[in-house]
Amino acid sequence: MARIACLWVPDLPLCATLRAEPSLAEAPLAVVQRGDLGGRAHVLGTTPLAEGVEPGQTLAEARAICPQLVHRQASPERERAAAQAALEAAAAVSPRFEEAAPGLVYVDAEGLSRLFGDDRGVARSLVTAAERVGVRAAVGAGGGKSVALLAARAAAPELTFEPTPHGVRGGAFRVVAPEEQAAFLAGLPLLALDLSDELQQTLRRFGLHTLGEVSRLPPGPLAARLGPEGAVLWRLARGEDASALAPRPVSERFEEGEELEWDAQSIEPLLFVWKALLDRLAQRMRARGLMARELLLRLRLSDGSWDDRTVDLAAPAREVAPLLQLLRLLVEGRPPAAGVTAVRLCAVPVPEVLDQLPLFGPRGASPTQLAAAVARLSALMGPERVGQPVAPDRWTPFAAEVARFAPPPPPRTPEEPAAEIALVARALRPPRTAEVRCDAAGNPLLVIGEGALGGRVVASAGPWRTVAEWWSDTPVAVDSYDMEVAGGLLLRASRELSSGAWWIEAVYD
Amino acid sequence: MTLPARRFGKDFRPIDELLRTGQIHRAPAFEPPAPRPLSTGIPRLDAALGGGLLRGQLHEIVAPPGAGGTALLLTALGAATSAGELCALIDPADAFDPRTRGIDLRRLLWARPVDPVQALRAAEIALEARFALVALDLAGAAPPRKRPRGVVEVVRFEKRRSSPGSSPWARLARRAEKHGGALLVLGREAQAGTFAAATIELERGPTLWDGPPGTAGRLLRGVRSVGAVARHKRMPPSAPLPFHLPLEAP
Repeated sequence: MARIACLWVPDLPLCATLRAEPSLAEAPLAVVQRGDLGGRAHVLGTTPLAEGVEPGQTLAEARAICPQLVHRQASPERERAAAQAALEAAAAVSPRFEEAAPGLVYVDAEGLSRLFGDDRGVARSLVTAAERVGVRAAVGAGGGKSVALLAARAAAPELTFEPTPHGVRGGAFRVVAPEEQAAFLAGLPLLALDLSDELQQTLRRFGLHTLGEVSRLPPGPLAARLGPEGAVLWRLARGEDASALAPRPVSERFEEGEELEWDAQSIEPLLFVWKALLDRLAQRMRARGLMARELLLRLRLSDGSWDDRTVDLAAPAREVAPLLQLLRLLVEGRPPAAGVTAVRLCAVPVPEVLDQLPLFGPRGASPTQLAAAVARLSALMGPERVGQPVAPDRWTPFAAEVARFAPPPPPRTPEEPAAEIALVARALRPPRTAEVRCDAAGNPLLVIGEGALGGRVVASAGPWRTVAEWWSDTPVAVDSYDMEVAGGLLLRASRELSSGAWWIEAVYD
Repeated sequence: MTLPARRFGKDFRPIDELLRTGQIHRAPAFEPPAPRPLSTGIPRLDAALGGGLLRGQLHEIVAPPGAGGTALLLTALGAATSAGELCALIDPADAFDPRTRGIDLRRLLWARPVDPVQALRAAEIALEARFALVALDLAGAAPPRKRPRGVVEVVRFEKRRSSPGSSPWARLARRAEKHGGALLVLGREAQAGTFAAATIELERGPTLWDGPPGTAGRLLRGVRSVGAVARHKRMPPSAPLPFHLPLEAP
């Protein structure tokens, strides 16, 4: 007989809210429908401290019953992330799983005994994996999908709420062994199955209240009276589930989202939201041994459009602080066109990069440290001022750009460095304008520049003419000189032929 | 002689007896070898520094404009990147030219802070990330402004404020020691004081020109300078080291 485990997140809106705000688990909380801010919004789920408040009541009724009630609107973004976290918890235990609905995952428990032991070990691992990503789940295990789901529902009353830094825990599990399956099913009420109201009433009129009573009936007459639905019901009551598991590959992206109750017009409120989202993303990736190679930031604006940004990380990273700084820089550099109503963060994961410590010699920079350092430096001075130096393919002297810093691994045989030292130029960016007086032959005599960039010219060499951009409408022709001014400063200066303007491009040192 | 531990069990009295009678001696405690210093790219200077730039230590280059301080800094970066080490260049003056030869740019992180305070913080971050060599270029693009002659300066006697560079050097030296990176600071004046494990001083020599003045085809050939390790925590000051710095073709 196949063994299937079912990971079920009851009260998904409530669980998603507590995952985002764990401290509310110890408060009388009601999660209400989204949209209606008045007292007519219906309650979707409550914590045990909200005594007397039941799902289906209006918020006004709930407040009348429990005056200390705290309420939160249901958030589709949070629910989406919680459902995805539940899916990842299943993926952490078994490679074969199927998401039947948001917060409902079936897992193939066959062949996992070497990893987790018997079915109880598998179920316990699922509960733990879900709690690691902040989800409180009920887990059931049985001989088929329907039995596993019924077992998970049977375990639901044992669930508790225990806040953790990453969500809530307090999961429970129920394992139905093959030999006790018939007894387990026989005692379950028909309400445990998702039957239509019409079928429920019909069965009640027949005097049938439990699955055991249905399973004892002959299948033929039952199907004749109730149709194909009756035949399916009879098989379910006997634990004969014909539906097979349809495994699906896990998503390549980790997503966390949050909806704001107002339009954020500045960066500060967004930072709070991003911090919480990054914390949860980092926790999920840590649970799977992954790191982020790329971050995608999606902002839903008040006009309904989406503003998408991408953070390409220098190396895989999972540290929240540098990632938060990168997001801040990204948005501060190009603010969104309108207020932000929702935020979604997606991380493209790669396997965790482990540090290899050397046996002899000091420990070098790890990829994570490099990524964090680049992020911190980018946050300090701006991303355009940090990176690998690159000489662009242009005629412009001393032009420089930065590229993404992605160093290659160390060479097996280090190159021999050049044994001699050479005079180099210190570029002045942008070049400093100067006034240069020349003799009749055009040799520079005096440089009057900014600060100490000037003086009487002691010696000079040049000019060397450069003509560039002649193929364009704005050709450039300059004469360049090397000069030594009184005091010993060695300058590289140029004069534009068309305007006669001088500027100092570099200082030799 | 090697004796298996199981021969003694938990009773070490035979060993104590052997130690007491002098038949065996305690072996010196195992100490991991000191990490190999980083070469400056100039063997004569490496020898004067006792092998090169010591990891986990702060080093300082003090050189006037044109004496080759920047050249020395970039030569050290070239030697380290050629050896496969990751290096960082903190360049608040934005003066580095990527066309400089001899540096493996793939292993060099170039950071251009907007002011010296940011530069010190950036050096700290680079040291914490365990870059093997962090080069901090505080030479600036231009020398300090000259004081005009004939101006009388009014001096007030008041409590002197602490120098803004005094505490950052202590912190940077601690960061270098903790994370094992070598920090090389280039400045026009000595700044790190006793926090520097070694101070390399350069003096400007004559400029070398090729061709008579005022003639076409005259070329700047380079400069001569004299360097020395003026102060080292473990070595005596070095003898003067003459350098010839030819000009690289632009």
